[in-house]
Amino acid sequence: MSEWICFWATAAALVAGLLFLTAGVLGNCRFGCAMNRLHAAGLGDTMGLMFTTVALAVSAPSVPVCAKLFLPLIFLWITSPVSTHFLSMVESRNMRESEKIWN
Amino acid sequence: MKDLLNRWLDGEFDAFERMPELQEGYDISLDRKHELERSAAERIESLPQTRQIAEKERKAFHLWYVIAAFACCLTLALVFLYMTAHITAYGRENPRAEAIADRYIERGTEETGAVNAVAGMILDYRAFDTLGESHVLFTALVVVMLMLKLDETNTRKDREDYYRVRFEKYYPTDKDPILRLAGTLQGSFILLFGIYILLNGHLGPGGGFSGGAVLGTGLIILASSLGDADIDHFLTEKRFRVFTASALIFYILAKGYVFFSGANGLDNHIPKGTPGAILSAGLILPLDIAVGVIVACTMFGFYSLFRRGGIGGDETDD
Repeated sequence: MSEWICFWATAAALVAGLLFLTAGVLGNCRFGCAMNRLHAAGLGDTMGLMFTTVALAVSAPSVPVCAKLFLPLIFLWITSPVSTHFLSMVESRNMRESEKIWN
Repeated sequence: MKDLLNRWLDGEFDAFERMPELQEGYDISLDRKHELERSAAERIESLPQTRQIAEKERKAFHLWYVIAAFACCLTLALVFLYMTAHITAYGRENPRAEAIADRYIERGTEETGAVNAVAGMILDYRAFDTLGESHVLFTALVVVMLMLKLDETNTRKDREDYYRVRFEKYYPTDKDPILRLAGTLQGSFILLFGIYILLNGHLGPGGGFSGGAVLGTGLIILASSLGDADIDHFLTEKRFRVFTASALIFYILAKGYVFFSGANGLDNHIPKGTPGAILSAGLILPLDIAVGVIVACTMFGFYSLFRRGGIGGDETDD
């Protein structure tokens, strides 16, 4: 019984992560503005990766393996937003005045 | 002009360095100075006597060059042909090589004290090879330093200062609090991980080269996120040189002592300890640390030299 709960939880989390990753890939390919693309790329790196890691952690054989799975997640949760922050800063400093729709 | 040529041939002054009468003239503009220097060198070069001497020297040098080149190539070719004649044919069994490999695997832990057989091989049985590898890194660092280091004779300070223009034009990333926090968090853990790999070389996967690479990466991350000034506080150019040179000299002395006081199989007065303990395996742990220091310094030195033309806070970088 608990195996089936584990299986369905893993499947649900994997599907959710895959949805976010697909949204990220689609947005990266289809959006026109660089800021929108950065938003899409950030989605895949944060939410998509989190759901995938949760899925792997639920089906992990032991607690240490489960804990180790979250280390790359923490690493990428630090690096991805910081790089997005810098890319968007460079973009906002270099874009034309007419492109700044928030003005 | 003839007087100048005679003085040059006597070795009194070098025409390709600064002219003696130019040294006190600080008010001459730099372009004019370069022009005068260049014209002095060209004037001496264009004299017919200079050309005759140069031609004679060139011919003599050419003869010896050809002879020496032939001798070197012939010797090397003979050595390699002799060695090729003794290599086992492709596909045949090579009893000598297999004996060596078997001995490394069977008696490596017993003879070197290292649980990790690879560390035992590269830092005990074949430590001389690793010394050469460290020197390759050191030589690469020296050559990059020679070519890229900004000092009095190699700088654009009085002309177009490329670096200052770049720093003023772009946003100073090291003032950004987000990047500082992220860089501190990650760089410190990466440095810790590098030290762990460095000290773990004789017990498991790791060692000098990989640990040094991780340490160098941590230093690069810290330097690019916190700014160069913060790293310069503790890694000045003098300390950099002291680290690299002392690591190499320690390696040479320690391994030379082992080689000359009795190589494998003889008593070399260095305790091996219990295999598996952190203080074991004789000289492997100190040699690992030496190699790691050299690799980390080389990686960080490359980054720093390519980025701003100097290591540590140097006077050209204001």
